[in-house]
Amino acid sequence: MAFLEWRKFQFFDLRQNIEGSEKLLELSKEINITCTSAGNNYLVFGDSLGQIHLISRSWHINTFRGYEICIEHSFQLRSSPFLITIGHDEPGINPLIKVWDISKFDRNGIPFCQRITKAVAGSYPVQVSCLAVCDNQQLMAVGFLDGSLILYRGDITREKSSKQKTFKDVKTEITGLAFKLTANRIFLFVSTYKEVFVYNITQKDKEQKYQLDNIGCSRKCSVLAESTQESHFMVARNNAIYCYTPDGRGPCYAVDGEKILLEWFRTYLIIISKSNRSSSLPKNIINNVTTPQSTNQVLITVLDIYNKFIVYQYVMPNIRAVLYEWGSFFILGQDYRIYSLEEKDLQSKLSLLFKKNLYDVAIRIAKSQQYHLDGLVDIFKQYGDHLREKGDHAGAIEQYTKTIGKLEPSYVIRKFVDSQHLEKLIIYLQALHKQGQATEDHTTLLLNCYTKLNNTVDHTASLREFILSKESDLNYDVDIAIKVCRQGNLAEALKLAEKHEKHDWYIKIQIEDHQNYVQVLDYISSLKFEEADHYMKKYGQILIEHLPFESIQLLKRLCTNFKPNNSNNASDNIISAHYDIEMKSDPEDFIHLFLNNSSGLVEFLEHLITAGCFLSSSVYNTLLEQYLHVWVGTEASGEKQKIAHRILELLQNPDIKLNKSHALVVCDMHSFSEGILYLYEEQKLYQQILRYHISRNDPHSVLACCTRFGHQDPTLWVQALWSCVRDNKELSIDLLKQILTVIAKEKLFSPQLVIDAVSTGNAEITLGHIRSYIMNELQQEMKKSEEIAQLTGNYKKDTEKLKNHIEQLKNGVTHIQGSRCAACHHHLELPAIHFLCNHSFHQHCFQTCSDDESECPTCQPENKDLIELLKAREYNKDLHETFHFQLDKAHDGFSVAAEYFARGLFNNYRILR
Amino acid sequence: MSYAYLFKYIIIGDTGVGKSCLLLQFTDKRFQPVHDLTIGVEFGARMITIDSKQIKLQIWDTAGQEAFRSITRSYYRGAAGALLVYDITRRETFNHLTTWLDDARQHSNSNMVIMLIGNKSDLESRREVKKEEGEAFAREHGLVFMETSAKTAANVEEAFINTAKEIYEKIQEGVFDINNEANGIKIGPQHSPTNPSLPGAASSGGSQMSNCC
Ligand SMILES: Nc1nc2c(ncn2[C@@H]2O[C@H](COP(=O)(O)OP(=O)(O)O)[C@@H](O)[C@H]2O)c(=O)[nH]1
Ligand SMILES: [Mg+2]
Ligand SMILES: [Zn+2]
Ligand SMILES: [Zn+2]
Repeated sequence: MAFLEWRKFQFFDLRQNIEGSEKLLELSKEINITCTSAGNNYLVFGDSLGQIHLISRSWHINTFRGYEICIEHSFQLRSSPFLITIGHDEPGINPLIKVWDISKFDRNGIPFCQRITKAVAGSYPVQVSCLAVCDNQQLMAVGFLDGSLILYRGDITREKSSKQKTFKDVKTEITGLAFKLTANRIFLFVSTYKEVFVYNITQKDKEQKYQLDNIGCSRKCSVLAESTQESHFMVARNNAIYCYTPDGRGPCYAVDGEKILLEWFRTYLIIISKSNRSSSLPKNIINNVTTPQSTNQVLITVLDIYNKFIVYQYVMPNIRAVLYEWGSFFILGQDYRIYSLEEKDLQSKLSLLFKKNLYDVAIRIAKSQQYHLDGLVDIFKQYGDHLREKGDHAGAIEQYTKTIGKLEPSYVIRKFVDSQHLEKLIIYLQALHKQGQATEDHTTLLLNCYTKLNNTVDHTASLREFILSKESDLNYDVDIAIKVCRQGNLAEALKLAEKHEKHDWYIKIQIEDHQNYVQVLDYISSLKFEEADHYMKKYGQILIEHLPFESIQLLKRLCTNFKPNNSNNASDNIISAHYDIEMKSDPEDFIHLFLNNSSGLVEFLEHLITAGCFLSSSVYNTLLEQYLHVWVGTEASGEKQKIAHRILELLQNPDIKLNKSHALVVCDMHSFSEGILYLYEEQKLYQQILRYHISRNDPHSVLACCTRFGHQDPTLWVQALWSCVRDNKELSIDLLKQILTVIAKEKLFSPQLVIDAVSTGNAEITLGHIRSYIMNELQQEMKKSEEIAQLTGNYKKDTEKLKNHIEQLKNGVTHIQGSRCAACHHHLELPAIHFLCNHSFHQHCFQTCSDDESECPTCQPENKDLIELLKAREYNKDLHETFHFQLDKAHDGFSVAAEYFARGLFNNYRILR
Repeated sequence: MSYAYLFKYIIIGDTGVGKSCLLLQFTDKRFQPVHDLTIGVEFGARMITIDSKQIKLQIWDTAGQEAFRSITRSYYRGAAGALLVYDITRRETFNHLTTWLDDARQHSNSNMVIMLIGNKSDLESRREVKKEEGEAFAREHGLVFMETSAKTAANVEEAFINTAKEIYEKIQEGVFDINNEANGIKIGPQHSPTNPSLPGAASSGGSQMSNCC
């Protein structure tokens, strides 16, 4: 049975005995209602006596006479006060169309009649079968029994502006009319008993008719069902309700029964049909004494078109009309009783559905009525609970999933966590993640679920899927996920880490769980510079320990010019290349990684040096230390030599900023003498070198040192001497001799002091050891004193000579014997000038070459020098300060003092003039 | 949306073969595993392009039950194409094809293009009707044949579009009287002949036509 296939609910309550409506019952005793209409806050009834009854919401009835004879049709506009009626004022003539303004009443309580027009279909009067008025007040259609149709265009309230057009396309009674306005077109649907058609009336006088069906319907059995989604002209026939659009047929709803009336209300289609099954239907309150004939009963069906439910069905006595006003609809019974059919509120509907466990329907209805979200969630929850109780866990989860974001997840989780339905729980948790509602706990739980189900291939796959899903799909705390995965699904944990670039996790897992150092190095090589740098610092030590060569290679790259290995990062490379920013790690940061791998470190640092890297002094210091470390550890002398050579190279490299004092300490620590000596020498610490050699009891080196540096620091010799004599050590006598030789030669030390030194020293040095020195010294002294004595004799002689000469000049006669001029060397001629110095001049020669007549021009320069020297001596004598200053400054103070002494600083010269 | 032609289709076949799902897949590109039973005739529409012309397909999805046969019959008239569907996993739906075909041929316009569809091709493991059998039936009765899956959408698009192509070819060949709307073909509003009186004349011709039938 087709009928049974609609789901049926009672979502409406039929109420009778509405307060105030009994007045209508009174009225009905006198009249016979012929037409009904509703709109603009009124129910409108027309009766067989031509009266019109306007019924207000409070059931106040306002009756006025509309026509002299009778009224057949009425049409109250929904939202304007115009009421259109068709009736007769006189018998046997064309029906009259009247337009009333029911907002304006005259003194007698009669509304203002705006317009009276004769409905003339043809040459003789024909009864009107159908009336339709468009809400825009611009269109009105009147159908006649003979199939004629008049279309009125223009303001319906004014006859003058209204134009009419008659169509005579069909020959049978017009049973239904409806206007439909679309954005840019206007249609008039028409039904007759035999067909359904539509006029496109968009353009005046260009109306076009299209047939929609060649089966029709009876009066009142068609309606325009308009809703926000779509609108259909619906036509009721015995087997079904057929829908039409201006394009043709639409859907069809199979509803059995002979239809009496069709009405449209919001999204509900109200179908009144003859009930032939009254006996089979349950007894109801209305089925009482007032309706003696059960055959006269009708079935009222309310169809929810969009949800495809019958939302109300009821058998009741025959009815006259269904009216829709004031938000609910009213049924006018055959007996003029008014029933109201009121829709249950959503909550009541839902509880009704819940009682029957019809949650799916509840959801559909709640959604179609825009139920608030919290309410919907509650339904999902109830539905889920219900399904779970029934054992439909998958279904339950599907519902619970819809509660995400509102319902506390723990409610759902608790229900599934201890059962055997982990798969379902997984679905829920996944959804939770997808919607970004998952907390860390949820992630942990989900991953644990995966892990628990890991034995099956399926779930490893789903775990993988979860892990590899795009971040936008699932929102979870990656760290938590990795942590959890690490406990059972290392591979997944790795993938997660890789995918989300959790480098630290990745490296940690590879190292700690897989000991896969090669992989780690590859991975780090593919990272961006900063990251690679960071992770090498962090994990370098363990990597060097396990993969020294590769790790060091990577470190080298980091410190020179690192480019990620990964070709995926090619674009990054381009960018960095573009900016040409050279990024290099500081080798110093890596040094501590080479814990026990000196040779590795050496190799690393050497590479950097050859690569021309700028290295800080501490790096060099480290390298030096490492070298020394290796040097100490090396046995083979050849090898040792080589290393030593390298160390020296390092020390000698002028480009290298080595902390020399540190280097010295380190060399000293490792007893690397070449280094120590080099450093001493470089810093001119000859004393140190000497002391070093002395301490090492190495006379040759001591000697070599003294010889090498003695000219720069002669005290070295003295030092060496002291060292020879001071200590007990068996210093070679040769050395002593040599030292003494140098001391003697350079006159570094007086023999007196040498002897003192030798005698005070602890060394066992006999006189024999220094005899030759002393002898030499004495001989030299003697030679010198002889020479001096000789010189003194000579000077004495000279002085005697001069004294005699002066005496002679003072007292004696001088013979001027000179025959030549001292200026031109020609024979003297008179006049000539003669000086006591035995120089004679031609007078003219003297005049030209002398500027002082009292002096001999030949002797004058010599005399002048002499006088100046004496003057200077006198002058210098006063400058004690200069002397002291020079003395302080002088390298060799003695020589300064000697010079001053010689200049007579300590004598009282008087210049002889 | 303007269109050059409007083609009307009807989908027929036993209940449960997947007619509604096929329609939903074609119009909405989705599969709804639990589909309400069709009570009466449901309706869908979609725009397609053939030969760079916009064609609107208006599709009636009918109920398969015997009880609704009378309603279904009233829809044959005015359909340019029919999709006759059986379920490859249920032999009886294949066995009923002749009844459906007779019904269709009897109540439709003789030029109606009928496409035979073996649906649920995704359920290979439960197949009861071989593809060859479907092919043979189609050959025998002059139908176009195709196996589809409303679930995976395999061939769904093709089934509807190939039918439209065939109708379009017939129009080009002049087999269809495109001015007779009873054939299930309508010329789009913008594409109507410039003379506005013509469609009126055509529709009167149409009523004559239906009188003849
Ligand atoms: N596996 C599968 N199931 C289908 C397919 N098409 C329809 N179904 C199922 O078959 C049942 C009936 O589908 P329905 O479209 O209502 O059939 P109709 O009665 O012909 O309209 C539904 O449960 C669908 O889920 C298909 O292509 N593959
Ligand atoms: Mg169906
Ligand atoms: Zn001279
Ligand atoms: Zn002289």
